[in-house]
Amino acid sequence: MGLDFSGLEPPTIRASSSFPNLQPNILSSPSFELPSVKDLDGFEKAAVEMVKPVHGTTTLAFLFKHGVIVAADSRASMGQYISSQSVKKVLEINRYLLGTMAGGAADCQFWQRNLGTRCRLHELANKRRISVAGASKLLANTLYSYRGMGLSMGTMIAGWDETGPGLFYVDSEGGRIKGRLFSVGSGSTYAYGILDSGYHFHMSVDEAVDLGRHAIYHATFRDGASGGVASVYYVGPEGWKKIAGDDVSELHYKYYPVSQPVVEQEMVEILGYPPTGNLGDCSSIPIYRNVASS
Amino acid sequence: MFLTRSEYDRGVNTFSPEGRLFQVEYAIEAIKLGSTAVGLKTKQGVVLAVEKRITSSLLEPSSVEKIMEIDEHIGCAMSGLTADARTLVEHARVETQNHRFSYNEPMNAESTTQAICDLALRFGEGSDESMSRPFGVSLLIAGHDEYGPCLYHTDPSGTFWQCDAKAIGSGSEGADSSLQEHYNKEMTLEEAETLALSTLKQVMEEKVTASNVDIAKVAPKFHLYTPAEVEVVIARL
Repeated sequence: MGLDFSGLEPPTIRASSSFPNLQPNILSSPSFELPSVKDLDGFEKAAVEMVKPVHGTTTLAFLFKHGVIVAADSRASMGQYISSQSVKKVLEINRYLLGTMAGGAADCQFWQRNLGTRCRLHELANKRRISVAGASKLLANTLYSYRGMGLSMGTMIAGWDETGPGLFYVDSEGGRIKGRLFSVGSGSTYAYGILDSGYHFHMSVDEAVDLGRHAIYHATFRDGASGGVASVYYVGPEGWKKIAGDDVSELHYKYYPVSQPVVEQEMVEILGYPPTGNLGDCSSIPIYRNVASS
Repeated sequence: MFLTRSEYDRGVNTFSPEGRLFQVEYAIEAIKLGSTAVGLKTKQGVVLAVEKRITSSLLEPSSVEKIMEIDEHIGCAMSGLTADARTLVEHARVETQNHRFSYNEPMNAESTTQAICDLALRFGEGSDESMSRPFGVSLLIAGHDEYGPCLYHTDPSGTFWQCDAKAIGSGSEGADSSLQEHYNKEMTLEEAETLALSTLKQVMEEKVTASNVDIAKVAPKFHLYTPAEVEVVIARL
């Protein structure tokens, strides 16, 4: 009879031999089952896209005689689910610069805040504010350096600099376009419809604010992924100012006023009905008789 | 002072047997060759004033920059090797902006001073990236934060002090004793402007003009005086 050395064995080995009814894979490294689909990469990409917030969005910005109008809705959705109705999609980079948010909320918030920091450092180093062209290029260069690594952003950089108003479209592919009028997001086509038909370079600030708000309202009306509040900002020589923030469900009645419907029927209580004492508890329920119908 | 000078004054990271770091002490000596700068704290804000040595009539006075903005609530005046100060100021600007990015609030004046001093003593014979010698500059850092107005003084050893009033540079000894005599905590900002400039006037060789001094205040925002605003203070002397 030899000595029993089993006490010296590592506990994991003992566990597998002494407790046969434990799950067989308890000692293997952690793993999970893969979804049984043909195109695994495509499936995972689609899954990530589906839950990416603020994919459904309407944002717009346009230049006109007196400055720039920037407007956006406020809905965040994750697929069919509306995760918020109060998202700030117009990001305030500094007193003179605004950015809009479409695509990944975190990507837009982080990189535009980062842009704000770098614009301030530019201001300290050069003793003058950065131009809108310069700021948008800083962002575009950053996004290009992360190209293909999963960032998702479609943003408009609007502001006022020494040369006057400026507007650029910048996206996560690294693209940067100077322009007069842009709209980004799933509701953009609807917004473009209103913008293109109502836009004139020489309009007043009030007209421009109304046009921006109407375009956002209309996009929220037709696009299920857009909604909430239509915020409108105006950028002028003294920097940006928030002009409006209207609930689109209330705006609806501004654009489609409800006329008081003609009363066709009137309900009148039948006096002395029901006879008391017979119906118990039900006696308190009034019973109506239709007097208009024949 | 340096009677025991020996091979110990060569390396920046070697103590002498008496426990001294000669290169750091020499760097502090370098400040005493710099132009004079003064700072005064009042209850309303902090005033900074510097002498700009305009060595030639062909020199453009506005290009001599000895007071710099770090953030909107912090400014700094320098004396010594101003090129070294630019490295420190750039570092402080990045630190204050990163603080705003991370915490959405302005950075404390003390934390900013600490950040500058952390860099000031990050020197040695190590990697190519880092500074090989001490920064030969002294700073007066004026700030306004949640604790009110404040004034800090830093030196090449990475030490910093909080002060009510302080002078640095070649005229610092005379200016400091003059400040000790005339400064009081109850001064108004306007009185501090006048005292700062009159102290500077005492130690300056040339006549004070709007082009050879710079004045700035942090009350509560940083503001560098225009030549016209400097002229107004000169008129009060």
